[in-house]
Amino acid sequence: METDEAPTVLPSTTKSSLSISLHPVPILNISGHLTRLRLQTRKYAPFAFGALLGTQNGREVEIVNSFELISSGAMPKVDHGFLAARKEQYKQVFPSLDFIGWYSVAVAPTPMHIAIHEQLIGYHPTPLLLVLQPTSTDLQKDSGVLPFKAYEPTVEIRDRKSRNVYIEAPYKIETGEAERIAVDSTAKGGAESGTLSSHLQTQRAAIKMLHDRILALVEYVSNCVAGTAQKDHEILRALAALVASLPASENKYFRSEFEDEQSDVLLTTYLSTLTKSQNILNDIVDKYVTMTDMGREHGGHGGGLRSGKRRGEFIGARGMRIMEDWAR
Amino acid sequence: MDSKIAFQTFSLENDIKEVDPKDKLFDFEEAEQRRVVKEEPWKKDPHYFKSCKISAVALIKMVIHARSGGIYEIMGLMAGKVDGDSIVIMDSFALPVQGTETRVNAQNEANEYMVQFIEATRQSGHKESIIGWYHSHPGYGCWLSGIDVNTQDTNQKYQDPFVAVVIDPNRTISAGKVDIGAFRTYPEGYKPPNASTEYQSIPLNKIEDFGVHANQYYPLDVQIFKSKLDDDLLGLLWNKYWVNTLSSSPLISNRAYAVSQLNDLAAKLAKGQQTAQQRRGNPEGLVLPTGAELARLTAANKAGDKDAMIMSPPANKTSAAKGKEKDVSASGAVSLLPPKPVEDSALMKAVKDSTKIASEAQHGLISQMLKDIIFSNRPGIAAPSKTGSVESTVETAMAAE
Ligand SMILES: [Zn+2]
Repeated sequence: METDEAPTVLPSTTKSSLSISLHPVPILNISGHLTRLRLQTRKYAPFAFGALLGTQNGREVEIVNSFELISSGAMPKVDHGFLAARKEQYKQVFPSLDFIGWYSVAVAPTPMHIAIHEQLIGYHPTPLLLVLQPTSTDLQKDSGVLPFKAYEPTVEIRDRKSRNVYIEAPYKIETGEAERIAVDSTAKGGAESGTLSSHLQTQRAAIKMLHDRILALVEYVSNCVAGTAQKDHEILRALAALVASLPASENKYFRSEFEDEQSDVLLTTYLSTLTKSQNILNDIVDKYVTMTDMGREHGGHGGGLRSGKRRGEFIGARGMRIMEDWAR
Repeated sequence: MDSKIAFQTFSLENDIKEVDPKDKLFDFEEAEQRRVVKEEPWKKDPHYFKSCKISAVALIKMVIHARSGGIYEIMGLMAGKVDGDSIVIMDSFALPVQGTETRVNAQNEANEYMVQFIEATRQSGHKESIIGWYHSHPGYGCWLSGIDVNTQDTNQKYQDPFVAVVIDPNRTISAGKVDIGAFRTYPEGYKPPNASTEYQSIPLNKIEDFGVHANQYYPLDVQIFKSKLDDDLLGLLWNKYWVNTLSSSPLISNRAYAVSQLNDLAAKLAKGQQTAQQRRGNPEGLVLPTGAELARLTAANKAGDKDAMIMSPPANKTSAAKGKEKDVSASGAVSLLPPKPVEDSALMKAVKDSTKIASEAQHGLISQMLKDIIFSNRPGIAAPSKTGSVESTVETAMAAE
């Protein structure tokens, strides 16, 4: 490798203005791809690459799915027949998703990545690159940072020559509701969920995350006040705006919606409780009827049945009256 | 700079690591698999397979696919292997079919797609074979219908080992946990020893289909597995997506499904009452108010979502009262006969259904109340404490569980 070669990634002073949302499926797909290749090759970071599928709306990109690619012949040679066929197959099942870029497993983009990039321009004018960095994941875990980096391709003009380079692009994690529940239950290792305590634990964990972040912000502000931290006016303005937006739920329409919702839930609970007590009562009456009938001769089955029936009728009628009052 | 990267890349590429025990399930030993498939131990024992292990990525893909189908059923295939008495699902992929219980034909339609997709998957280095199919039951629970039993039966005859997986995306969202089942059918004519399966709520219009075929298949124990890398990544993901836990409202995303559940409950109670009346053969029963109730329920539903939410509980409830009252008289009449083994009464089933509906609604409400507390206060401005209402809701939920 020549040491005077120009870098593939522009220095971090240039940041991409793309807004990228990354879903868990491509993350786990890439993880699966790497795990399988590791097992097959017994290498820690074998070469792997694949296509990213998603949606793009102006500068907003959402990476939703991915599939593996194969190279024909020497390493960085994209098998176009394969890519086109695969793209078509995914289009049939997920019509809203388009080819928006590709992924690879690498420490950082290299000229080889640029070479692959140039073969993919035909599918998208500026294909994104998502890189899984196979460094020690234990280290990553402590820092709490996902070992993925996103890059946007751009053209740099240097010495009157233009060349393709990458700039790093920030991304955020996005999940749909079903996706979140699925990720949640797999992350927990299939522990019991759906109960009240697991529900409360999830809520607690999320609120704790929020709390930790608020504490970090408070600390920053107090350091600013004390003069020990440098004031970043952009951050401080954002914080002021955030505080000014509180309380978030004091809108009269919101309140009335929320109260409706609340009474619906209470009503549902009441319904469930009443059904339950009806069932208990039913059992009691059953037993009562059995008991009183036992004591009688066969012919006279009137009494016990009667009284049981009347009792039920009374309660049924009463329950109905309460309900009618409600409906009004 | 790039040369440093190149070196790192090279050394990482050639760094040979021990296979993490967690990753063993991802390995595919071709010879071993061929041997097992040739031996076919599952042919001798209708109960051979006990569990179904599903990889995290396969599970998440199936759940998302099921949810994307909305009110329609979707379907797809799963790739994997056999590991002892487990069917291991390593990956899943969607098929371009959706509809309602048109499975048998749908599979023919998708055949060409399937063949090409599998071929491409092999080309990209996957060795797993197709080991099952999945489809969704939006809102009516995980079990096999008559058509499903036929499909699975055919598959077990011609391409065993094969497993059927069913996912209910609506119940997944409403319960906050993945609602999934894995099933194998019994050979024709096999009489299973009576196994009591856990009760699950089946909508009234599906009960017959469920009941007729319930003894033709059995459920496998579903387990989730993940690689070491998956595990690390999933842990890190939580650092990012906890926000979604706070920003979503289960009450709102469940609204339509909650209404449909309440309607189903009302219908079941009404039906229970009817049956009880017929059995008793007594015209003296309160036929009139019942009719009125159903009318009111229908009216409430026509009035739209919001009203239905408020109206249907009372309607249900009253029919609960009635259904119950009929049960009393019915069982009164029956009790003269020798005692029968006790099966859950229609009313008991309604109790289970309504308990589930109520507890899910309460969970949703608790989330909303917590958010209300967190985001409705402003430092320096005294606001009335709302923690009391959360406490009482949690207590109610605990009492109901
Ligand atoms: Zn089905």
